[in-house]
Amino acid sequence: MAQQPMKPHRLVLPAGLKSQLDRHLFPGDRDEHGAAILAGVAETAGEVRLLAREVVLAEDGRDFVPGERGYRMLKADFITRQVVRARDERLAYLAVHNHGGTDRVAFSHTDTRSHERGYPALRQIARGMHVGALVFAKRAVAGDIWRSDGSRVALEGATVVGPRRELLTPKPGKEPQRAEPHYDRQVRLFGDRGQDILARARVAIVGLGGVGSLIAEFIGRLGVGQFIIIDPDRAEWTNLPRLVGARRSDAAPACLAESARPWLRPLAHALSRPKTSLAERNIRRANPKTAVRAIRSDIVAPQVANQLVDCDFIFLAADTARARNVFNAVVHQYLIPGVQVGAKVVPDKAGNVADVYAVARLVTPESGCLQCSGFVDAAKLQEESMHKEERDAQRYVEDDGVVAPSVITLNASAAAQATNDFLFYMTGLAKNNASLDYIYYHPAHREPRQEKSCRRPNCLDCGQGSRSRFGRGDGSRLPVKLPPKR
Amino acid sequence: MTLPEAHNVTPEVQAAIVEIAAAYPNVNAHPDGDGGAHVVVQDVPLGPAYAQRKTWVGFHITYAYPQADVYPHFVRADLSRVDGGALGNGTSGGQFRGQAAIQLSRRSTRLNPAVQTALLKLQKVIQWLNSL
Repeated sequence: MAQQPMKPHRLVLPAGLKSQLDRHLFPGDRDEHGAAILAGVAETAGEVRLLAREVVLAEDGRDFVPGERGYRMLKADFITRQVVRARDERLAYLAVHNHGGTDRVAFSHTDTRSHERGYPALRQIARGMHVGALVFAKRAVAGDIWRSDGSRVALEGATVVGPRRELLTPKPGKEPQRAEPHYDRQVRLFGDRGQDILARARVAIVGLGGVGSLIAEFIGRLGVGQFIIIDPDRAEWTNLPRLVGARRSDAAPACLAESARPWLRPLAHALSRPKTSLAERNIRRANPKTAVRAIRSDIVAPQVANQLVDCDFIFLAADTARARNVFNAVVHQYLIPGVQVGAKVVPDKAGNVADVYAVARLVTPESGCLQCSGFVDAAKLQEESMHKEERDAQRYVEDDGVVAPSVITLNASAAAQATNDFLFYMTGLAKNNASLDYIYYHPAHREPRQEKSCRRPNCLDCGQGSRSRFGRGDGSRLPVKLPPKR
Repeated sequence: MTLPEAHNVTPEVQAAIVEIAAAYPNVNAHPDGDGGAHVVVQDVPLGPAYAQRKTWVGFHITYAYPQADVYPHFVRADLSRVDGGALGNGTSGGQFRGQAAIQLSRRSTRLNPAVQTALLKLQKVIQWLNSL
């Protein structure tokens, strides 16, 4: 049987951890320094991601000392301590040191020989977990990964996830191809390289109602290359004013859907087009070359959430507590940034409009946790996690049947902010010190507002405690239903 | 005591049931098919305000636990006060797994899933019931 080609391996490094590492490796003394990264592993059909969960700095002179064969080395007791910790927490162990230079880096022959002497033994101690080495220059990284299955692979590069995305490779990549001419005006902002980044990007949109429909249109026209779109619902007559490109023929008329004859209702349902289908039609019209995976299901269904784990960015445009819970878990467990986006009309006790706002809540591995900031309502999550019959029997405060106001222009404010967040993150246009606050817009007052998010040290999503899912990748379970028993 | 097999519930739900079973001698748990479980704790002592000495307490730990709150809780349908008074705010008639019950509605606002457990919630609800 032909041997499967090795999947590319990539390190994902939250910007805060990268800064911590940079300050230690490059303090300005032009010397070498050492550290270790403990990383979760996420293996998908296309690649293996090593997800940096923790950086452990090696103290110069104690843990990182003059080498017996090379210039400097990590001491054996430091290495053993970290490998054992990584093994016990089911994480990969990656030894780190630095070389000089800026945008090129490679292991020396001494480094490589040292790996060949030491890593077979480390792999045995690690018992089923990957081990390896990374060498950093200021804007470059190379890696030598010794996989648990006995194979060995060179790291393709690293993705730094922060206010903006930064890609590190062992050496500068090739110049991207010239973008297609119809992208000329936007290429003048972010260049052929930016257009190439968008063409290679894999983006998920969860929820394709009023806001998600606009997001699909916007990023389809930006030229994003791969989409995963998720929504269980079909278009309804009352959705038509807010769904991009929707025709009257896409939804069964309300008179059918709400007919007094019950046998007509399934027919009306069948006549209506799935929201995923509408969005796919729009995306393909904007960019026929794009790949779209449409999933007509709920995000908490087994296997659906797993579709998100190899994305570069996730838009959450479904307003349920269970969708927020899964989204927040994926962001932190797999270190994939995203934005929770929506528009809301808030009534007062008398039923009058008290407030109207559009909101984009940017959630990155190190900022904006929806759990810590109180945007995953635990009681609502409990109600949504029950079967409908049980929920109906117990409900006494809120009513599923209440239809919230929704207006396309409000949705557009939220969708525009969210897609700009995505665009500026992906193409590197965002400033490194860009605000990560949640952004609200109140059209009745013509006022924007920013709100700081919170971060609790013991959070099970974004925290660093032993129970936290942060950076654990496939080593932790997403908060979804168990698969049905056969 | 009936506890679900580990593969029928999520690890978090399984840990919660084990913790409850360590605190109360008579616990039955029934998987809900999604990874959660309906749990019934028998022989929970009631305070002197009630005509009955003990009750069962039922609740649903869903697959979304511990991020999801554990609420509402249910107790025996014939629960009554010695003084003949009403049971009070937060209680109402209901059903738990097809059985008539009194529904106790105690939501946790700003729940911290790292700290709040199903056992702690159960103990708080029992304490609250006995304080009515």
